[in-house]
Amino acid sequence: MLHLFKPQQQIQRAMIKRLIVLLFVSLLIFGCKSGGEKKTGDEFAVPEDVVNEGVLEISEEVMQDIIQNISSPVEMAALVKSLNADFSNQYLAPTENVDELTTSFQQALQLGVYAADLGYLNIYNKTNSVLEYITAIKTLADAVRVGQFFDFTTLKRLAQSNQNLDSLMYISVHSFNQMDKYLRTDKRSDLSTLMVTGVWIEGLYLATQVAKADPHPELAERIGEQKIIMADLMLILDNYKSDKQFAKLIKELNILKEEFNDVTITIQKGEPEAIEEEGMLVIVQNDVSIVNISDERLKSIIAKTEDIRNKLISI
Amino acid sequence: MKKYFILLFISIIFLNNGGFAQDNVELVAQCAGSAGNVTYLKDFVVKLDPGIPGGNPPSAKFSMVLSKNTQYRFSICTAPDSEGEAILQLFDMNVLQGSTYISATGKEFPSFDFKCQKTGVYHVFISFKEGKAGEAVGILSFVKKL
Repeated sequence: MLHLFKPQQQIQRAMIKRLIVLLFVSLLIFGCKSGGEKKTGDEFAVPEDVVNEGVLEISEEVMQDIIQNISSPVEMAALVKSLNADFSNQYLAPTENVDELTTSFQQALQLGVYAADLGYLNIYNKTNSVLEYITAIKTLADAVRVGQFFDFTTLKRLAQSNQNLDSLMYISVHSFNQMDKYLRTDKRSDLSTLMVTGVWIEGLYLATQVAKADPHPELAERIGEQKIIMADLMLILDNYKSDKQFAKLIKELNILKEEFNDVTITIQKGEPEAIEEEGMLVIVQNDVSIVNISDERLKSIIAKTEDIRNKLISI
Repeated sequence: MKKYFILLFISIIFLNNGGFAQDNVELVAQCAGSAGNVTYLKDFVVKLDPGIPGGNPPSAKFSMVLSKNTQYRFSICTAPDSEGEAILQLFDMNVLQGSTYISATGKEFPSFDFKCQKTGVYHVFISFKEGKAGEAVGILSFVKKL
């Protein structure tokens, strides 16, 4: 009896051990799935020339501070719409060559470009073309291993039903923010920087193309103000200058940066005041920035932006 | 046997963290939805430990570019199980522009609008009243061009 009991106890212990190991493995698998999407990145390798082996000149923390919301995929489009500019498909980057983007550098940059285009489409409620852009974004997001944050299924359903356009906008922007956040926390700030650069250059391209077709003083001022944002953007990009592709991008953008040299921005100081409008606390800023940009300078910025943006989206 | 229970414990913690992340996603969606008829731009998810007695309350800082002639909305939502109540403050350099809590009057606002007249980098600070621990979500939304 004793002989029989001992092995049975051992079998029970072994079974408990196996169960715990099985449970542990299952929990890890389920815990790793954050968006319900299959992770596609196990076989993905970041090309050697994108991996930054050198020491960053500014810390990750400072970088994150600068990168956050350097450019939003919808704000420039909202400005353009507020000026009653007509929608044009010609301002959008083509999506047919998305599968030919093979390096994570190209994929992340183009992801930002398409995110800005999606913002433009959403602001103008052009849901017919949204599907094409969310499909392209999904392809690139999977390629840079952030596809789990892009809710393609819901976005597709919303775009096809042409309803809940607010939700379509919210999920689009939130997905972009989630992808960007994840890249930064995953120590892939180089790709986050490229995404942000893509959004910024496409937003500037949109603004400059609208200004070219239909000049507007407010649009000229917003374009001139990009001098401030560009200075921050170049600061971040400079961290990766040891990489060949980044160096090439920096060289191109530096030419554009020089175009902004004689744009002047002056500040008139004032104290903020709090007022109440329709039951809402409203803070009115009384610091005012005044931008001076000549017509000639605006023209050269428009031309240079067009040139750089078209080079970036061409494979 | 003990090591297997440690593994189980770690995996439960791992799973719980996933649940916390999911809660954040829901709180962001709820908070963005409660901001009104505006366009969501950015969220600021915060989880802070309690401060040291007598010291400054811990805070989380977020930087962002705001554009001239644009009206933005800053909203704050404290998580249901948060110990402390969250406060959102907006700074331009070191100058306070707006806050969801006016300490002089004790008045609280779930959100405030900011009519921006100067393009540049601004900073949002989120902290909890009396330096308590807490979890919250801040939302930046686009209201309209001015």
